Amino acid sequence: MANAQPPSPATPMTCEASWFCCGTAWGPCGGAGGGACGNCNSGSMQCAWPNASQACFDETRPDECGQSLLRWGCGHTFYVGGLCNGANITVSIADCGPHTNYWCGERTCCGNGKCATDRLIDLTPAAFSHVSSLSNGLTAVSVHS
Amino acid sequence: MSESSSDKLLGRRRFLTRAVLGGGAAIVGATALGALTPQAAQAAAQRTASLGPGQVDPNFAEGRIVSVNGGMLMVSGSDGTLHRIAVTNGTSLWKLRPTTLDQAKVGDGLYARGVRLPDGVLAADAVWFNIVNLETHIVAVGSKALQLDHRGQRIVGNVVPGTTAAVYNGTPAVSDLSLIQVGRHAQVIGAWRPDTNQVDIATIHTAA
Repeated sequence: MANAQPPSPATPMTCEASWFCCGTAWGPCGGAGGGACGNCNSGSMQCAWPNASQACFDETRPDECGQSLLRWGCGHTFYVGGLCNGANITVSIADCGPHTNYWCGERTCCGNGKCATDRLIDLTPAAFSHVSSLSNGLTAVSVHS
Repeated sequence: MSESSSDKLLGRRRFLTRAVLGGGAAIVGATALGALTPQAAQAAAQRTASLGPGQVDPNFAEGRIVSVNGGMLMVSGSDGTLHRIAVTNGTSLWKLRPTTLDQAKVGDGLYARGVRLPDGVLAADAVWFNIVNLETHIVAVGSKALQLDHRGQRIVGNVVPGTTAAVYNGTPAVSDLSLIQVGRHAQVIGAWRPDTNQVDIATIHTAA
């Protein structure tokens, strides 16, 4: 199991990323609301972070996967790179998630051989679709502050 | 788990869309999309490059289809915005699986990514119809459907023979669903059946 470093400019980490819907939406996403920060929107360049607050951390428990992530609150900016397609984006924290501890040790690999382990960030559909197809559901990314 | 080749395909479609929009040789595509000039295409690309964190992405759209007129989708965004989305032969379309424009129906939900033209039309690289990515718990397992709990709401996850696949503990996707267990958490990627609590499952990620 990989043990990612806290994401900082000096220590970018690699991890899995999925996507989630929020804000006004159709279908099963209709009740998602604005997320933990109140301003989450599927069409915006935003993300969810497992250590956005103590209450958030208590739900997502990345430490159970051996991951020690810094606490970053609403609005904090991450730089995300798609390991599969090379795209680079910037996103801000708008929600709590993913449930990292549900998926400890899970690994996703790209066609180019690059791989990443553990779900440490979720992206809105607008953000995820820069780094992968939504139909993939999961992809491998690099993340730093 | 290995990502499918859809990323490479999508990247190629993005390239082709930009080529159509900016290239003088692609007269048919450019005319159909409103004759975007190379300068306008360049400006659209620069807008994407300068997109800041938290900003609404102008080259992305979501909502539900209110009409389909040739290759143009009229879409009512969940926030009330009306989108015009142009679909070409180069657009990647997904509805449970890769599909064709004739499968787009009024009432379908969608997400679309492309290039926003000066006249407001989104020239689509990719459109995902009714796609959902749900974090669920498995309540019951049947041969034709799974009962799922999603944020306290019951969702019926239909098994589609020949399409539905399971990913157990990150291993490669398989068609064998026999290892799915009640009480486990599951991530479900599928296609919503509009105005119901049902989804058709494309891929279910769970622990064996």
